[in-house]
Amino acid sequence: MDFKKVDSIPWVESLDEEILMNFLSSGVPIQEVTAIQWGVFLDGFLLFNWPKVLGFDPYEYLGCINLTGCIVPVDIGPIPRFKQRRIGAGPRYEEYLTETGALSRRFSKGTKVVWYSMPQFYDFPVKDRASWEQYKKRLNPEDPRRYPKDWEKEGYIQVFEEYQNGPTTLGITGFYGFGAELMGITNFVTSFYKDPELINDMVTLWEQFTIQTLRDAVETLKDRIDMVYWWEDMAERHGPNISPKLYKEFLLPHYKTVTSFLNKNKIKRIMIDSDGNIQPILDLIIEAGINGTWPLEVNAGMDVRTVRKLHGEKLFLGGNFDKKEIEKGGEAMRNEIDSKLPLMKETGGYLAGLDHDVPVTFTLERFREYANYLTSQLAI
Amino acid sequence: MREKWEKDIVSCGESRKIGANLQSPSDVMTMSETLDNIARAIVTLESSQKLVELVNRALQERVSSADVVEKGLRKGLHELGQKYESGEFFLSELLYGASLVDQAMMVVRPSLKVEKAETKGRIVLGTVRGDIHDIGKNIFKMMAEASGFDVHDLGVDVSPEKFRESVGEVSPNVLGLSSLLTTTLPEMRTTITELEKSGSKNTVKVLLGGNAVTENFRREIGADAAAVDAVQGLNYCVRWTKK
Repeated sequence: MDFKKVDSIPWVESLDEEILMNFLSSGVPIQEVTAIQWGVFLDGFLLFNWPKVLGFDPYEYLGCINLTGCIVPVDIGPIPRFKQRRIGAGPRYEEYLTETGALSRRFSKGTKVVWYSMPQFYDFPVKDRASWEQYKKRLNPEDPRRYPKDWEKEGYIQVFEEYQNGPTTLGITGFYGFGAELMGITNFVTSFYKDPELINDMVTLWEQFTIQTLRDAVETLKDRIDMVYWWEDMAERHGPNISPKLYKEFLLPHYKTVTSFLNKNKIKRIMIDSDGNIQPILDLIIEAGINGTWPLEVNAGMDVRTVRKLHGEKLFLGGNFDKKEIEKGGEAMRNEIDSKLPLMKETGGYLAGLDHDVPVTFTLERFREYANYLTSQLAI
Repeated sequence: MREKWEKDIVSCGESRKIGANLQSPSDVMTMSETLDNIARAIVTLESSQKLVELVNRALQERVSSADVVEKGLRKGLHELGQKYESGEFFLSELLYGASLVDQAMMVVRPSLKVEKAETKGRIVLGTVRGDIHDIGKNIFKMMAEASGFDVHDLGVDVSPEKFRESVGEVSPNVLGLSSLLTTTLPEMRTTITELEKSGSKNTVKVLLGGNAVTENFRREIGADAAAVDAVQGLNYCVRWTKK
């Protein structure tokens, strides 16, 4: 990520639970990916010593690194939370209140369709100024629940020093992502014109909230935080969902304030996660102080070679292997890797991987074929 | 001077003099100027209040509702789409402009019904089975309705059988199939097969939309077009229904 000389390009992927379940049922040996805790201790006393399954970690077994690695435990969500719960269920759909207060619909688990994936959001907590005023009350940066109960700085520093399985990541929701999540895309992007004062108020508060909430973690951990993962998802195939003009006027100053705060604390790697075609705002993203981007979605026209040519070492890049080509296996898979990897090995600052989460349709056999070929090519 | 001005108005094709009680040429706005102002208000992303004022003024000045819609609102919407296609505008501008048209249509619609304006064509639209995403579909619907199409929206997670039935009932010019997910692309193929089996494939143009769709895939399954965005999809519909 720092454009330093390395022996091998890192390979990062993002696997959601559905693909993990598919892989497990297709032959990934469960004993290889299960994390088990045998003892539970309290103040040095053994309370329990039976095996407790903590979860599954398939990354090491599959040979890749989890994109977001170990996440710094700061809660930037609304507090009190909206209690995530099922509010309705039929034979085909289940409806949920999400933890951010939206209403969503997804397929019932028994339905023979992709049940996880992304739900359909059909109602949002912020509709206008009045509802925003209500929502604001849940964004108190001083709320003690934003940090773990056992937030003891030296202990956490030690944990992050010892973590070796991927980057230590601080997750932030971006200014666009925050607004779109609260208002829905259509209402949010049109409100830049309909009610610019509301937008200004929202992004100003979000800037202050972000810095105040993260201050303790950032000032404690400093450059033990390897990377800031700034979630936005702010583009479609045609381009960004808000114009460069709006980005510059409404969001850019707030990004700059946050990146300046991070930089002052020696945190240098700041990556934006956005699907879609963000090419038209990459200059502004760089001006904002962001210096990395993932996943560079091929179907939206993003190409790691073009971005590198245009922006050089101003951006470290991740992803961009066309998942559809990789999934075909064989020559199509090899061609896709061979067309991009050599330049990225030569120029550095690259995290190899697919141009989004591993699709649920990916078979274990194809993933292994991809893993075998890619890992044979990563050495410099 | 006045003679020259009147001559200009007459030679201006579709223009006709409005504001007949006004005394001087500078006080008088031609119909085409009024309609241009409406179109311009959309392209320059004015407030909805201003656009509605312009529309009301045009109606008071006896410009027909059909002209307000066709030569004012839709002209503006068309220019908005062109700016989006050229990369000058983005989704924020496209959606805001379309919402302006939507609000202005509420003012015009009652008198439009009296004038029995023709629709541009019929579109049956839906997100394919297994996919419940509808943002892109809804943007397309908004643009298509504002452009004068009669849109029958079947919603999300629509089965091939339901699409086939609706094509039989509505006899649309265009069938729009949307899919965000790569996992549900096969449903587009199944839907086209369903249309072929029922003999209705050749009665309707099949338009694919959504993030997962590619031109190669369109060719593979025999659809008529694949649109990368709502404006391109709308351009196909306009082309296919041009009389």
